[in-house]
Amino acid sequence: MKSHLQQKSLLLIALFFAFCAVDATAQHTVSGRVIDASTSQTLPAVNILVKGTTRGTSTDAQGEYELTVPSATDTLVFSYVGYQNQTVPIDGRTEINISMQPQALVGEDLVVVGYGTQQRQDVTGSISQVDAGEMKKFSSSDPADLLQGRVAGVQVRSNGEPGSIPDVQIRGVGTFGDSQPLYVIDGVPVGTSIRDFSPNDIESVQVLKDASAAAIYGSRAANGVVIITTKTGTKETPLQVKYSGYYGIDQVWQRIPVTGRQNYQMLSNEGQRNAGLTVAPGNDPNSPVYIDDINTDWQDVGLKRGQRMNHNLNFSGGGEYTTYNISLDYLNNKGTLVGHGPDYKRYSGRINTVSEKGIFKFGQTLYYTHTDEKALNYETNVLTGGRPPMIVDLVTAIPTLGVYDESNIGGCAGTESDIHRAIILNVPCINQLLEGETYVDRTFGSAYAQLQLLDQGGHNLRYKLNVSYDRTNVRNTYWVPEFEMGFFFNNTKARLNDGESIYTTALIENTLTYQKEFFGKHDMKLLLGQTFQKGSSVFRNGYSEQFTQPYFPVLDNGTNQTASGSEFENSLASYFGRLNYNYDDRYLLTATIRRDGSSRFAPNYRYGNFPSASLGWNVHNENFIQLPEFISKLKIRASYGQLGNQNIGDYLYTNTVNPGVVYNWDGSKVIGGIQTQISSNDIKWETKTTKNIGLDASFLDNKFDLSAEYYNSVTDDILVGVPIPLSVGANNSPTVNAGKLENSGLEFSLTYSKYKGDFTFDITANLSTLKNKVLSLGGDDEPIYGVGTKTEVGGEVGRHFGYVTEGIFQSQEEIDNHAFQNAGTSPGDLIFKDLNDDGVINADDRTYLGSGIPSFNYGLNFTGQYKNFDFTVFASGMGGYKINSRMYRMLMLTSDYLNYHKDMLDRWTPQNTNTDIPRRISGDPNNNGRNSDREGWLQDGTHLRINTVSIGYNLPKKLLDNYGVQSTRVYVKGQNLYTFQYYKGFNPDFTSGTFEPGFNNGSYPKPRTFMVGIDIAF
Amino acid sequence: MIANKNLIPKTMKKLTFIIALLMIVGCSDQLDLTNPNEPTSDTYWKTEADAMRASSAMYNGLIMDGTYMRMIPALTDGRSDGFQADTPWPDLWQVAAFNVPATSGPVEWVWREHYVLIYRTNQVLHYVPDMDIDQGLKDRIVGQAHFLRGLAYFNLANNFKRVPISDALPDQDEYNAPTASEDELWTQIIDDFKAAKENLPVTYDNVDGPDQGQVGRATSGAATGMLGKAYLYRQRWQDAADEFELLIDNNSPMAIYSLVDDYRHNFDVAHENNSESLFEVQFATPDQVGGSVMNYCCEPNSNWMQVSSQAYTYAAEGYGYSDFLPSRWLYNEFNQEQTVNGNKDPRLIDTIVSYEPGENSTTVYGDPWPYTDTTAIYPRKYTNEGLPQPELREQSGINYRVLRFADIYMMYAEAQNELGNQALAAEYIQRVRDRANLPNRQTEFAGYTQQEMRDQIAHERALEFAIEAQRIHDLIRWGWFDDPNKVEMLRQRDPEFNSWSPGDQYLPIPQRELDVNPNLEPNPANN
Repeated sequence: MKSHLQQKSLLLIALFFAFCAVDATAQHTVSGRVIDASTSQTLPAVNILVKGTTRGTSTDAQGEYELTVPSATDTLVFSYVGYQNQTVPIDGRTEINISMQPQALVGEDLVVVGYGTQQRQDVTGSISQVDAGEMKKFSSSDPADLLQGRVAGVQVRSNGEPGSIPDVQIRGVGTFGDSQPLYVIDGVPVGTSIRDFSPNDIESVQVLKDASAAAIYGSRAANGVVIITTKTGTKETPLQVKYSGYYGIDQVWQRIPVTGRQNYQMLSNEGQRNAGLTVAPGNDPNSPVYIDDINTDWQDVGLKRGQRMNHNLNFSGGGEYTTYNISLDYLNNKGTLVGHGPDYKRYSGRINTVSEKGIFKFGQTLYYTHTDEKALNYETNVLTGGRPPMIVDLVTAIPTLGVYDESNIGGCAGTESDIHRAIILNVPCINQLLEGETYVDRTFGSAYAQLQLLDQGGHNLRYKLNVSYDRTNVRNTYWVPEFEMGFFFNNTKARLNDGESIYTTALIENTLTYQKEFFGKHDMKLLLGQTFQKGSSVFRNGYSEQFTQPYFPVLDNGTNQTASGSEFENSLASYFGRLNYNYDDRYLLTATIRRDGSSRFAPNYRYGNFPSASLGWNVHNENFIQLPEFISKLKIRASYGQLGNQNIGDYLYTNTVNPGVVYNWDGSKVIGGIQTQISSNDIKWETKTTKNIGLDASFLDNKFDLSAEYYNSVTDDILVGVPIPLSVGANNSPTVNAGKLENSGLEFSLTYSKYKGDFTFDITANLSTLKNKVLSLGGDDEPIYGVGTKTEVGGEVGRHFGYVTEGIFQSQEEIDNHAFQNAGTSPGDLIFKDLNDDGVINADDRTYLGSGIPSFNYGLNFTGQYKNFDFTVFASGMGGYKINSRMYRMLMLTSDYLNYHKDMLDRWTPQNTNTDIPRRISGDPNNNGRNSDREGWLQDGTHLRINTVSIGYNLPKKLLDNYGVQSTRVYVKGQNLYTFQYYKGFNPDFTSGTFEPGFNNGSYPKPRTFMVGIDIAF
Repeated sequence: MIANKNLIPKTMKKLTFIIALLMIVGCSDQLDLTNPNEPTSDTYWKTEADAMRASSAMYNGLIMDGTYMRMIPALTDGRSDGFQADTPWPDLWQVAAFNVPATSGPVEWVWREHYVLIYRTNQVLHYVPDMDIDQGLKDRIVGQAHFLRGLAYFNLANNFKRVPISDALPDQDEYNAPTASEDELWTQIIDDFKAAKENLPVTYDNVDGPDQGQVGRATSGAATGMLGKAYLYRQRWQDAADEFELLIDNNSPMAIYSLVDDYRHNFDVAHENNSESLFEVQFATPDQVGGSVMNYCCEPNSNWMQVSSQAYTYAAEGYGYSDFLPSRWLYNEFNQEQTVNGNKDPRLIDTIVSYEPGENSTTVYGDPWPYTDTTAIYPRKYTNEGLPQPELREQSGINYRVLRFADIYMMYAEAQNELGNQALAAEYIQRVRDRANLPNRQTEFAGYTQQEMRDQIAHERALEFAIEAQRIHDLIRWGWFDDPNKVEMLRQRDPEFNSWSPGDQYLPIPQRELDVNPNLEPNPANN
């Protein structure tokens, strides 16, 4: 009751203040015009602020402005994207004309931080701004992909499947679980993927890398935060319509060299004969079913030309009080595999408006998207046997099978056990039969209301209420018709899965911002806030089978219809505060604290506190230090703080009973229930402590901008499902707080800008290093094994682990004199080193064979303009890691009926002894296929990819004026033109599991794309 | 305008107060969310219905890939001298050829699923004794848990030689159970079967409780038979014979078993849970029990099928995967003797698909002999060949007979032979031969030496229990792998033994397990 009353009285007081404030300020009016210093053209939409307040305006289409200021002694700050800020004291003038200097595209002056903005020069934490314009020159279905190579310390790994979600890591593997950063769009956390959002809406991107910058998002910020703002309109601007579109052709340019029919049969027969077995009839020239008329090049028949296209319409403008920006976007990316998918389509629309009058400000965002994805996942009930990704099945398929066979139901050819003996998947054909589709409908709305409670006497107090709701409906359908495809892959019942998942996130935030400048030199900003967030997921699936032809694949038309479903909820309550203090633009301090409570932990472990502090020193503003002439700016900053992570499943702290455990008594079904998983009840927040030291400098009249940083972060109480012995009998690896990880690295970015004369350009380069070390693994520090890897205290995560080879046995004598390997070891087999000298080669002879984590990442961007032409070249890469390629190993494996890599032709034979490739023998008695450092088993991942080369042309204004067109730019672009690599697979920058970062399970090749595009503004 | 500057801090205070209120009132109780999908273990284990559900859930561990759904049959049959791999799946023929890498998936599944079964029995043994439910029902459920746990360790001990024992719910941080000695392991097995025998009823026909009439639950007869078998495997001959007599002696309440007339009735769908069966794993097709998700492994749900993959895995070329073939030696072994009517041993026809015009057996799944080679042979036992229902991919409903009465007779004979009673041994061997209509050689056998009788038993068991996941265990316990002559003989019978080296008769301890658990020791097959 009491609080209600107080609220009311407070509002009255606040209103009173506000009216007084308005009354008090109508004193002095300034007007003028803003032009570009180099071209003398007028600049619209330049921001003009009264220093130390939020009062301001912007220039109109003619570059003119008019502003009423509280006092004729105030100071104006002019800012505009791509130009240097200008700070001009009014000194009683009524007309102030300004010419603004363009500046390097990076280093925009206003930085968006959590719950607010900051001047670049005031920033003390580690925040990287991404040049949104440059970033958007790369085309991808997921905006996160565009971060690749752009920011020092941000590693993006992705594949070439349309719609695939890239793996983004900020400053290394900070955790064992989900290590994706948190994305915040227009102030609203949207989770760890932004695939549903259109890159065309992006106005700015900042990456918060250290604790100081990210601590305000404490609970989920441990993996870093990517803050994205979307476009808004400009005040007093007539409607501007822009269209951008492109069309491109995708083609997989790499081919894995595999053997044709004759060599395949020869190698296969050799392996069988060496093992004393009969050869497969289809490979036996003496057999009636010998195959000599089929020689399928699966990559040739399975890969096709893909395409991509994007259309974007943007409407923006604004009046005296309201601005708007509306966009419509369509993306269609058709993949490069023959058959049903992978394809990805996205339709999206956004409406952003901001209204402002007096002490009130209101803004809203409404975003809706529909996507339609045909991904390459398939039902394991039909394609049994632990299939690899389809691209691996495609490349490894034997050449002695055709694609089609009309006598089979479904028309696909398949292997026969009495002819081929092989189990291979006919990818181009099965990919036409199976139809999986994912439809996503996402509605994302947010609105804020801001009240200027106080703007008087240097006191500035604002209250902001922000609410948002994000709802995603996902419909997954999977249709499998009846088909026959050889002896192994068959489906006798046509079946349909039709499922839906609904995800919602509701968020409410209350923040108070207080700002005060005192004694002219002290500037203080205080933020207090509270948020509550609730998320839910609902899953349900319908299944139906035995459809009859002609097919009408809806659930009603099958039999044995079953339904399944589950529901989850989580909530997060948080309180936070931040203090920014600036003394004379020389000394800067930021201190943050956040307290979070999460439903994912038991009541005793529910809350976590995440404090941080950082200091900055603008050396160039210091009087007693005279910097050399060539240094125009120099700032040194340091930070320390803690961040949290709760990115785990819901309810994991309770032991539950699986209530659906079936059995039958002589044919009568019963449903039992028993505990099948083990939980750890005392899980708590994962905490990451980071230290950051940075330096920002500009040289030679701001032509060079340099930023260098060193960071060190330690993640403690890592939440991870640690593998436990199977002898425990649980079906899971319980999530526990296990382990401690350290990441450290150096980050550099350097920009050179030439912005005078006809030929202007920017060169941006970034480089980052990464060192990862496991400090503890919880419990008894038992090592964790991954695919060919071992993670152990003292080393980095997921190092390659296996045997050391010492060449190839050339004689029985050599075998007899060597440690015992296997009863079947023969000349031509690999020699493994007896590391512990016990006379036998066994698991104890394994050791570390190299890193799976790239130790450095780099990116290079050049963009230039000459008269009406513009050029861009963008390249990026990584290095210092080794790749274990599932595909290459399968092609070189000696035990299965699969095709071979052409490297296999150089295998050991009694005639070809000078080789490092062991003999062909079925059954691989010596286990030559084991994890080891043998040639090709671990390959150098170092590479450089030419991501983008583009040339654009702005049509001359004269030409356009008659058509009412403001500007038109046409361009051609090549994307992923070439990759300089040692790796014998497709992508050296594949995505992978935490504990096997260097294991490539079968990343879909990134296509080479040629595009043409146009941007028109009306 | 505003002169009173005190107003400002006051406002601030109030605002802060309101924000603080919002924080406190808002949310902390909203952080208590309960899982709407599953009961917690704290609320379970209360009612009779809970106990019944838990008891059924244990049995689900028997129908996964690593237990009886596929790999216990496949990996044990594959190692016998009567069975050879004919598969493009490396994991299977590596096992058949005794060349198994410790990273083998199917071997890991066998390990994993048996411990899944054990974990579930441990839960029942932990919670049910303290539950407030009918004592009779409680005893029966506890008895079944002991039986299933004993069976799981019996399989683990036979296949891996030495494994860790988990006989209670694991404490957090105490997951790394050490390898137990063979003695400890077999003590565990014998104790479990003893406890099962004491607690279980002879049948569920007349029990008083919700489990009344539920055919397929473990009985005291099953426990007694398995207890005797465990004694036999430990060469405790008298103990073994004593247990078997409880099943044979007509004065014993447990002596309710008899051989069925038609040998094939032990391996088909139509005669499941028959008078010869002491314990069998209940499989059923989706037509009977529904389900749309294959019951290979891992987290069960109510849409699971309850099928066996064994039939399709074994089924003849063109009708299934034909992953294994009977060895020529086994075929010839069946042809050593004819029936009293001058026909071939009917068990040959029931075990092996072969071209037998003399026996009027020349079709495969109803088709006239489909192969150019009339000497080709394929497995028939545990497939649907010749049965009314077709081979539906990996969805066979044939129950797996874990223990049948013929084995009790044969094991009793073996125990008596080892105790020096060759005449008694001869009698029980002949009982099994009689069903196959083989000549009565009881008198001849009764005159055999102990060693001759052992050889005869080895021959009789090879035929009676071919393709029943027993042979490799018999060979191991008979010490054949320590006898170079026997090894040579096995190599003659089945060239897969050429790549056998000492220790390879076992499955290796999975490498993943050795990597994770530092207290675990490798076994002789790990090299």
